[in-house]
Amino acid sequence: MSIPEFITPQFVASMITIFVILHLALGAGAYLILLERKVAAWVQDRVGPNRTGPLGLLQPIADGLKLLVKEEFIPRGVDKALFILAPALTVMPALIAFAVIPWGGVLDTSTIPFAETLGIAGHEVKIMGADVHIGIVYLLAATSLGVYGITLGGWASNNKYSFLGGMRAGAQMISYEIPMGVALLTVVLMTGAVRGDEIIGQQLEGQWFLVHQPIAALLFYICLLAEANRAPFDLAEAEQELVGGWHTEYSSMKWALFFLGEYTNLVFGSAFFVLLFMGGWSLNPFFGWDLPAGGGILMILLQVAVVLGKVFILIFLTMMIRWTLPRFRFDQLMRLAWEAMIPTALIVLLATSFAVFMGWTSSMWLISLVMIIGLYVLYPFLPKQADPNHRVPLIGSRFSPLRESDVGASGSGPPSKGP
Amino acid sequence: MYTFAFDLQSYAPIGILIIMALVFGAFNLIATHLLGPTRHGEEKEGTYESGMEPIGSARKRFNIRFYILAMTFLVFDVEIVFLYPWAVTFAKLVPQSPESAMFLGRISFFIGTSIIAYIYAWRKGVFRWD
Repeated sequence: MSIPEFITPQFVASMITIFVILHLALGAGAYLILLERKVAAWVQDRVGPNRTGPLGLLQPIADGLKLLVKEEFIPRGVDKALFILAPALTVMPALIAFAVIPWGGVLDTSTIPFAETLGIAGHEVKIMGADVHIGIVYLLAATSLGVYGITLGGWASNNKYSFLGGMRAGAQMISYEIPMGVALLTVVLMTGAVRGDEIIGQQLEGQWFLVHQPIAALLFYICLLAEANRAPFDLAEAEQELVGGWHTEYSSMKWALFFLGEYTNLVFGSAFFVLLFMGGWSLNPFFGWDLPAGGGILMILLQVAVVLGKVFILIFLTMMIRWTLPRFRFDQLMRLAWEAMIPTALIVLLATSFAVFMGWTSSMWLISLVMIIGLYVLYPFLPKQADPNHRVPLIGSRFSPLRESDVGASGSGPPSKGP
Repeated sequence: MYTFAFDLQSYAPIGILIIMALVFGAFNLIATHLLGPTRHGEEKEGTYESGMEPIGSARKRFNIRFYILAMTFLVFDVEIVFLYPWAVTFAKLVPQSPESAMFLGRISFFIGTSIIAYIYAWRKGVFRWD
């Protein structure tokens, strides 16, 4: 029996990476929910889940089993096909997105134990799901598919709260995709590459793009929060106003799939950020030296550990942000995306283009610094808009049960401060 | 120079991954359908709107702003897609060469046209929700 031609060493390595990372992400998705609850408890000075197993460590398994055997419930009047399809459409883009993220460098297979006996020695393989030319463009495409599941789920439920939540989620996710794309573009401009391993390679030689492009990194991080519908951008599921948003009518594993999608999105979004702005396994800003771009099996494991460590730090930061900041209002959310982040992203893009044209990419951090200082200096002179949070006096407003003339005639009530 | 090679081989893992994700989604939906109990009831199957009797269907007309926003998004998203190939090529050119200047000039014109459209939309109040 001969091995088919398409099973190359890279293919085998890709499949192993996909298998390991997929299971790691699904397990992490379940345990991140526990971590989230523990962090919430810690922030709010509570204990958190601690009854199931030691320190509550069996809680995700108990939750998963419970949700699996709960009643799958379909209310009247829903669009059945879309209602069932929507959770799968949410979790699938989250699961396929990670394929082009490099988790480690180039592995020399000769260093694997028993490589000679297994007959796999003498190859060089990349530790990534799929070594494709389009690279991070695929990643952007796959993550933006996530909007379908949420919007369709909200629409199919035949519930006004779900419908509003779905529409909000759709509007929010498409609005924040533009600054995300532009922030990504600045990195592509700096490197001239769209492959993940090339982008990391340039950061290993030079410096993290977090240092070179701090504004783009900040924009990208905010967009990640918004794309994943995380607080302070969780308008779509705002409990206080929309019950649960698009998943109000969902139950059992269908509901769980929405949450699994959200948390795997969080993991891969953080990995995306690490790849673009924190140089993968690069340790440049701390030590001045770096891990090599490839090596033996132990070096690769160390690199994977560094990447996962950075991903964990970002996830923890995201959770702390969720339990620290209050939620935006919808008009503020839209203004932030369209009137603040998109102009900023375009300015950064033009500045980066100019720096690339002049050949100043190695001192991009200085240009970023000048831009930040310039922004602070220019801020008081920028044209202002009316404060959207203006106070409307009750009497005389359209919400008042009384006309202003009635109040004036009777002489009762507080004096109106109208214009 | 950069040679274009469409390497279908390298896309094979993505195909397998998509199949795995499909199977995962389908498995969970079918498993919960088979494992969970099913009970019906008049009140139970009603739409949950915080205890209120639902009035009419939820498939109503909704705010036009969502539609305008989607149109604006479309313009910008297509523009960004066009910028990716440009960015890859532009970064590889010799800095301050005439060719590079031509690249920068053309894309500045392209971005400039959409900035004009963006300012128009802004002044028209597309991004205001209050």
